[in-house]
Amino acid sequence: MKAFLVAVAAALVLASAASFLLAENQRFAYQAFATSGARVSDPGTNLVGPRWTGDIAEPGKAGHKAEAGS
Amino acid sequence: MRRLTSLLLLAATLALTAPAVAQVRAPDGAPNPTASSVNEEMLFKQDPTIHGRISIPNATAANLIQPQGREWRQFREAWLPWIGALAVLGMLGALAAFYFTRGRIRLEHSEESGKKILRFNSFERFSHWMTASCFIVLSLSGLNYIFGKRLLMPLIGPEAFATLAQYAKYAHIYLAWPFMLGVLFMLVLWIKDNIPGRIDWIWLKQGGGLLGDAHPSAGRFNAGQKMIFWMVVGFGFAMGATGLMMIFPFAVTDINGMQVMQVIHSLIGVVFIAGILAHIYIGSLGMEGAYDAMGSGEVDLAWAKVHHDLWVKEQQAKTASGPQLGRGQVPAE
Repeated sequence: MKAFLVAVAAALVLASAASFLLAENQRFAYQAFATSGARVSDPGTNLVGPRWTGDIAEPGKAGHKAEAGS
Repeated sequence: MRRLTSLLLLAATLALTAPAVAQVRAPDGAPNPTASSVNEEMLFKQDPTIHGRISIPNATAANLIQPQGREWRQFREAWLPWIGALAVLGMLGALAAFYFTRGRIRLEHSEESGKKILRFNSFERFSHWMTASCFIVLSLSGLNYIFGKRLLMPLIGPEAFATLAQYAKYAHIYLAWPFMLGVLFMLVLWIKDNIPGRIDWIWLKQGGGLLGDAHPSAGRFNAGQKMIFWMVVGFGFAMGATGLMMIFPFAVTDINGMQVMQVIHSLIGVVFIAGILAHIYIGSLGMEGAYDAMGSGEVDLAWAKVHHDLWVKEQQAKTASGPQLGRGQVPAE
């Protein structure tokens, strides 16, 4: 039982370390593909909003409905 | 005169091409002005993908249409769920049939029942359980990729499923690392005891003692356990390699290559799950006394002599020849 608990704990520690290292070595597309000649703007949240309702503002803040073609 | 010649040539050209244009019509006979325009089929005759030119440094964004993606989607959406269900449910059905016909393999009592022998030390059990616990989460989150939207989403709703699937994806990506490390540990720990030999062939010919009452001889690991070991190592490395190519997109291969990696990863994955289900069955419900080996690390000596007689003899010979002699003692002449 002790070996099992230590194994699970070690797996969680290693997984956390992996998540940290992967996040450190990963950049958003707008960061990775921006150059001195081409600036890619931060798109913020997705096009349909954080709650997939079409309201692109954060919950609790004033926002507007995303419109087609905008 | 030159102008007249040009006009005549133009008139002749129009006269020759006009019937051809007039023949391009839709199936209902109506004129079809786009019938002779460039279409997808014509473009694919020139290049395997349809791509354009872009100004941002991400060259992969120029890819517009990639036909292999349709074949991959067909596999992913139509074939894979059936193959996965067949492998996993087929193995569960086979194990249930085996259990109800053969029953649980019982511990045979003898004079040595109750005495214990160490089968796996702490680090061996640690490596096994780290790999095993990761494998269970990787399996469930992997099956969620295939079956989640079909089976789970109708039950819990799209919002709960989206949250669950997101965390399952995180677990899949991050727990893959301790899993790969565990496979490496097990390879180093047990490779010397898993080299196939003649004794394994005899074990296999006798059905491993699973089909009858006979107990063929075996060393530390019998042929069945050796097959599980090599399956875990082989599939573990293959899953790691294909998985890494998907965790780091475009690092080694292009989009076609990553789709091939996903196909290999998923096919090996469902067979891997089926194989490990058999391993879990025989290590717990299927054989009395087997779980103790990975539970406490110690097994009943009577059980060990029945299932791993050659290994017990080897261990007893080691104990008799060395550790029993205290410092300063010499064997009697």
